[in-house]
Amino acid sequence: MTEKTPRATAPMLPGAPANGRRRGGAPSRPDRLYLLFWFFGSILVAFLVVPLVALALSQSWPNFAAVARMADVDQAIALSLEGAFLSATLAALAGVPLAYALARTAFPGKSLIAALIDLPLAVPHTVAGIALLMVFGRHGVFGEPLQTLVGLKFWGTIAGIVVAMLFVSAPYTVNAARIGFEAVDPRLEKIARTLGLGPWRTFLRITLPLARASIMTGVTLTYARSISEFGAVVILVYYPMTAPVLVYELFLRFGLDQASAAAVLLLAVSLALFLILRALARAAPGRANR
Amino acid sequence: MSGGIAVQSLTLTLGGFRLDKLDFAVAGHEIVVILGPNGAGKSVTLETIAGFHRPDGGRVLIGGRDVTALPPERRNIGFVVQQFGLFPHLNVERNVAIARRKHRSPAARTAALPPADDAAALLAYFGVARLARRMPEDLSPGEKQRVALARAVAAAPDLFLFDEPFSALDTQTRVELRDELLSYLRALAIPAIFVTHDYTDALTLADRIVVLRDGAAVQIGPATEIFHRPANAFVARFVGVENVIDASVVAASGAMATLAVGDQLLRAALPPHWQGAPQRVRLGIRAEQVVVAPPAEAAPSPAVNRLTGRVTGLRTLGPLVKIEIDCGFALQAYLLGPQALNLAAGSAVTAAIAVDAIAVMPD
Repeated sequence: MTEKTPRATAPMLPGAPANGRRRGGAPSRPDRLYLLFWFFGSILVAFLVVPLVALALSQSWPNFAAVARMADVDQAIALSLEGAFLSATLAALAGVPLAYALARTAFPGKSLIAALIDLPLAVPHTVAGIALLMVFGRHGVFGEPLQTLVGLKFWGTIAGIVVAMLFVSAPYTVNAARIGFEAVDPRLEKIARTLGLGPWRTFLRITLPLARASIMTGVTLTYARSISEFGAVVILVYYPMTAPVLVYELFLRFGLDQASAAAVLLLAVSLALFLILRALARAAPGRANR
Repeated sequence: MSGGIAVQSLTLTLGGFRLDKLDFAVAGHEIVVILGPNGAGKSVTLETIAGFHRPDGGRVLIGGRDVTALPPERRNIGFVVQQFGLFPHLNVERNVAIARRKHRSPAARTAALPPADDAAALLAYFGVARLARRMPEDLSPGEKQRVALARAVAAAPDLFLFDEPFSALDTQTRVELRDELLSYLRALAIPAIFVTHDYTDALTLADRIVVLRDGAAVQIGPATEIFHRPANAFVARFVGVENVIDASVVAASGAMATLAVGDQLLRAALPPHWQGAPQRVRLGIRAEQVVVAPPAEAAPSPAVNRLTGRVTGLRTLGPLVKIEIDCGFALQAYLLGPQALNLAAGSAVTAAIAVDAIAVMPD
């Protein structure tokens, strides 16, 4: 419910038994357990980090600087950030209310809806792109009427990019927010009501702040997933190119050198944003009120 | 008291649970305790009074107003739950300041109580002004209770509702906080409904007790009456009556009856509203009402039942010794430690039970 302070998790260091006391008979057991777990854990961490570091180190500065100055590279990165921002915003606006409804109400078919929300995570993104094309394409169920009625096109526009990003990344916001809401004790909401706060005020002043860290984590993941989306975007939109599509295009047309330079730039930008958002999400609400 | 609080034939179906025509009133500055086992519907009753469940039938009156159709925020209720339910993301002062008064009560009930919209003064009234900037997670249970009370008072309630606030506390803290709560409630003169499954909570706090079982009130009355005159075997066991004994009515004349337990005869007073005594009854006898003495000392008296028997077991419980006696039926009694020194299993004793210490209950 409330966030754990760092000191509460501190005793879980490797080699230090959690309660600070060794159990009689087998004093070194916990140490070995943790050492072994850390060994396997390090392999995974290395597996995740080494390719990215290798990519970053592969660049010669002149080549990198030249690619970074290319207008279409900068435009593609800007478009990615913009699309991901819109996608994360839409996910928050629609996903947070849905998450609260799922967390607080019981109805038949609830688990079905929860499964449907997770579905985009299981669908290959090229498949998602084709499915979206059917619906948002020139003759799609939404695509055709939206263009004739309000002039909103999903092909060759940022609208299509946002739709593709949102489809594959919205589940992160819904799921994280739902977990956050479920962790808020309903009795706190009831107390707020008896204190004269209506349902809206109770939600905004009690529930939302208490679920804020989870929601921010979910929105951050949605944002990150949106920036990195390739499959659905490339099938639904292709042009204008987002950064991942551009990297792919550079790779096909000019080979690894140019592609990897653009890739490093995208990596640096998205990593920086991800770290900033994570720090914002982690900052405990209320600390500032003390 | 402005208007009064009443629950009138409250009926509610919630999933598989049913609240059945519950009726009780809270008069003046009374503390009413709803006592019952888990699943009896205590919390549901409280939450229905607070406005979180819409009843299928019946009415709820608070401060003289019919609030049955009103949402919780317009019922003027102070709600205190288990572990006190302070908002963990707000400091103490903000916890209190968040309360909004919707309905203005005619006058402050206690001259000493500061205005409901003055959070700092309310904290001072409850002796926790120095904690204003602290976060709830850093408070002791006693401090949490005071902040929770200050917050509830900030909404200018006509009624307090307590939903087992002490159930997660150790015995010593529980007793301390209970005494403190009682003195605050007396000083504030705001009526309260307190839900618990612990009969010592009920006995300490209650002016009257509503014993709830399966969504229906089985007995409503002053605490001493529930304790000494339980209406049936369920209530008797729930308020800790040690001896609940099957008996049959042999003869009844006026308020007195002669009852057979095995081959022993006992005289007992019938409850005031006893109608056409059923043959089979249960007797409730509190262990401390059984006076154990050596056989020779027995002097006959019409007001006392005397039974002879043998000690079958002794168990030391701190200052008390619980003695099990076989006097034709099993009987439990308490003695102070030193009085039990010359007793052992097999000792012959007499057990004296005053006629009016026996509660006659329907089977």
